[in-house]
Amino acid sequence: MALSLKYYLKEIFRIEWLKKFLFARTAPLGTPTYFRNFPELTGKTCTHALFCMMACPAPGAIEVIKTPEGWQPRIHIGHCIRCGLCVEACPNGVLSSGRILESMFYDNTALSFSFRIDVDTDKCMGCGNCAVACPVNKLIDAQMSFGGRASTDELLLMVSAGKCRAVHVEKCTGCKTCEDNCPNKAISVTRLLEAIHCPEEDL
Amino acid sequence: MSLLQRVKNFVRSRSIHVAYVDVGSCNGCDIEVLACLSPRYDIEQYGIYVHNNPREADILLVIGAFTPGWEDKLRSVWDKIPEPKAAIAIGNCPISGCLYNRPHTLIDPPVAKHIPIAAQVPGCPPRPTEILSAVLAVAPVVFKDFEVKKR
Repeated sequence: MALSLKYYLKEIFRIEWLKKFLFARTAPLGTPTYFRNFPELTGKTCTHALFCMMACPAPGAIEVIKTPEGWQPRIHIGHCIRCGLCVEACPNGVLSSGRILESMFYDNTALSFSFRIDVDTDKCMGCGNCAVACPVNKLIDAQMSFGGRASTDELLLMVSAGKCRAVHVEKCTGCKTCEDNCPNKAISVTRLLEAIHCPEEDL
Repeated sequence: MSLLQRVKNFVRSRSIHVAYVDVGSCNGCDIEVLACLSPRYDIEQYGIYVHNNPREADILLVIGAFTPGWEDKLRSVWDKIPEPKAAIAIGNCPISGCLYNRPHTLIDPPVAKHIPIAAQVPGCPPRPTEILSAVLAVAPVVFKDFEVKKR
């Protein structure tokens, strides 16, 4: 009886077991390598395409800043929501975060931007400020002046019949200069962000 | 250092009582704080206990962009916490307002305008490990030798 009791006590109150029971700790949890953390610079050259700023859903989270080494995107911690859209949008792979770049490479995915220009014809008074201010128009027809009247049909924005009209929307770069210059807030530019899957044969 | 102070330091390092207050968040950060309680992250093994009573708390976790309903209430919650105390802002919302900080919204970030904030945990939402390490980093700074520092 005494022997078996001693045996039981010895079995139950093993030193290792007691230590484990009283001082148990789960393993310190590190951040896994695949965690999509705040984007980091990869060291590739930024070409100031500003796709990251266009794709970013959080206000004030990313800025492209001119430094002595050239343009550089800067992430503002406290604003960034770690969605990784800037990493996906960048055409040069300047940013990296988690496994986004690798998975984009293996899955052949990319983000495509397109822009939609809406003109509220009730508010538009056909002043042509938008067409004159537009930097894309300026490249096509540098002579364009007051009123938005132009010689070519190749323009992005032009005034016809007293109203502004978006002719070649595919040329829009989404700078929103027209929105800033419209006196009546009649024009609005909407960004359409689309995830595309490139088929193998295209590459 | 007196023996009493040493005892206080030891006790305070092993028993940090936490209250959390949601001043208008999307509930994402609340769920991350809740995940800290789960067996995987298990904050109680570090001696951190969640008591949702400010009168028992040492650390206040503030979650969410500041909505007008909390204008006077957050201050009174903060005043009810006995000294020594600290407030930690969890997530982007109390720091910057995050996605809600747009024109025509009613929020009033940062929360540091309303109560003193000791630490900020950025992220939308932050990982539970980040919340945990913030609490563990703030606690010794605020609580160790509190009476000595006050004098």
